[in-house]
Amino acid sequence: MKSPVSVLALAAWLLSAPALADLKVFACEPEWAALAGELGGARVEAVAAVTGAQDVHYIQARPSLIARVRNADLVVCTGADLEVAWLPLLLRQANNPRVQPGQTGFLAAADFVTLLEIPVAVDRAGGDIHPFGNPHIQTDPRNILPVAVELSARLGAIDPDGAAEYARLLEDFRVRWQQALERWQARAAALAGMEVVVHHNSWIYMNAWLGLDQLGSLEAKPGVPPSAGHLAALLAQIGSHNPRAIVRAAYQSARPSEWLSGRAGIPALVLPHTVGAVEGADDLFAVYEVMLDRLEGVAP
Amino acid sequence: MTLSTLDWSILGPATLAGLIVLATHVPLGREVLRRGIIFIDLAVAQIAGLGVIATAAMGWEVHGFAAQLSAFVAATMGALLLYACERRFKESQEAVIGVVFVLAATGGILLLANNPRGGEELKDLLVGQILWVDAHTLWPAVLISAFVLTIWSMGGRWVKGVGFYLLFALSVTVSVQLVGVFLVFASLILPALASRHARHGLATAYVVGGLGYATGLLLSAIFDLPTGAVIVWCLTAWAVIIDLMLPHKSLSEV
Repeated sequence: MKSPVSVLALAAWLLSAPALADLKVFACEPEWAALAGELGGARVEAVAAVTGAQDVHYIQARPSLIARVRNADLVVCTGADLEVAWLPLLLRQANNPRVQPGQTGFLAAADFVTLLEIPVAVDRAGGDIHPFGNPHIQTDPRNILPVAVELSARLGAIDPDGAAEYARLLEDFRVRWQQALERWQARAAALAGMEVVVHHNSWIYMNAWLGLDQLGSLEAKPGVPPSAGHLAALLAQIGSHNPRAIVRAAYQSARPSEWLSGRAGIPALVLPHTVGAVEGADDLFAVYEVMLDRLEGVAP
Repeated sequence: MTLSTLDWSILGPATLAGLIVLATHVPLGREVLRRGIIFIDLAVAQIAGLGVIATAAMGWEVHGFAAQLSAFVAATMGALLLYACERRFKESQEAVIGVVFVLAATGGILLLANNPRGGEELKDLLVGQILWVDAHTLWPAVLISAFVLTIWSMGGRWVKGVGFYLLFALSVTVSVQLVGVFLVFASLILPALASRHARHGLATAYVVGGLGYATGLLLSAIFDLPTGAVIVWCLTAWAVIIDLMLPHKSLSEV
């Protein structure tokens, strides 16, 4: 152990860091931390477990993650098993009864939007087909508002003194978001029907929003290197179509999409999947602005 | 940060897990080093994982007890195979272990290729992170470690032969799930390496292991770094320090 003095100094330094926020929000993903920031203003201190450059499927365990969940008033995650590899462990280690699933202090965003790709029948022999549907809901900005409404209600329930302020911030956000949605919708018209290939099947909500047509995915099965046959089939499919981009998220390896890009002569495109994923995507609004900018850059 | 992360309730279970892993891995690691089969732990862990994947590929449910059982069965079979190889091709045992490792790893890929289960979860089923250890789930590991240590300390011809491989398979299957492959490898090799010339070898190795885990956990909490990775670096640092501090035997004695 260190000397008592240095431990005390360290503790003082650690304790001096927090802002004077009333309510501590722990978000699994940056988009929900950003949303909590929009809806909580100065009353809320929100941190995200991963950055925009990291893969939310996996996480390296750090002591501060446990400490933060232990101290949190509200945990906001996507849910639908996106964080299944680590969130249950983290919640158990943190041992904070206020933020366990089922409590007011635990919000799973996927519970408040309509999920796509829900399998009709979960067949054990068929394997681990995702029973809840595709969890990558935040790539469609229309999914943000329903989550915002619920998040704001939770903030008010946990911190009743701030309820009026939370209601005001929600109304303010709703107006700005609706205006942005209309702006984006106008730009989306030019992209409708554009064909794309994706790296990982995590863009279906964006495709639904913009009317993009997903030709195929580089990963036939998540985490398993593609087979020669799958890539050949994909190339053949591209040959008879006209995809404009091979889309991947910032945390995914560039190699598969660069490989296909070189073969097929189609640009590989990194799109922001969350706040901070690429340069310029610094807040929730900017995520979709940059997404549209980049897609327009390759559009016919 | 709103709470000091130097919190015993966060670091405590991880410390206990580290001590349990060290208890068996220090003596086993010295034997691994003596036999010159450094990568046997990676091979055994990979075979245990292959066992779970194979069970899933046959359409069985693999969680909890069933996963443990298939991991142990596979690891035991792998251990017996490696023992047979040691008897047959003693001089190429290290190479055989390497081949077994890549076969087990790629065998998993091949099994998963025809399986609609994504496989990411399956592959990670047997790889733990030390910080996620729950104190209540440590009991099976304590019992298995005590069992392994008891048999090991009884010694005898069996332990020098096939017994070593079986005890090793059992220990590594448990420890990989607690702390992950990197820490298992480091816990086996680094204390053994640091103590190879020491007069009180076993005691020295335990000291290196204990210091490595303790400082690693502390630094991880202070600088908020991924815990397992910091411990590996601390184990290495202590292994070097202790090795430099100890009087070395002259070359003629080695």
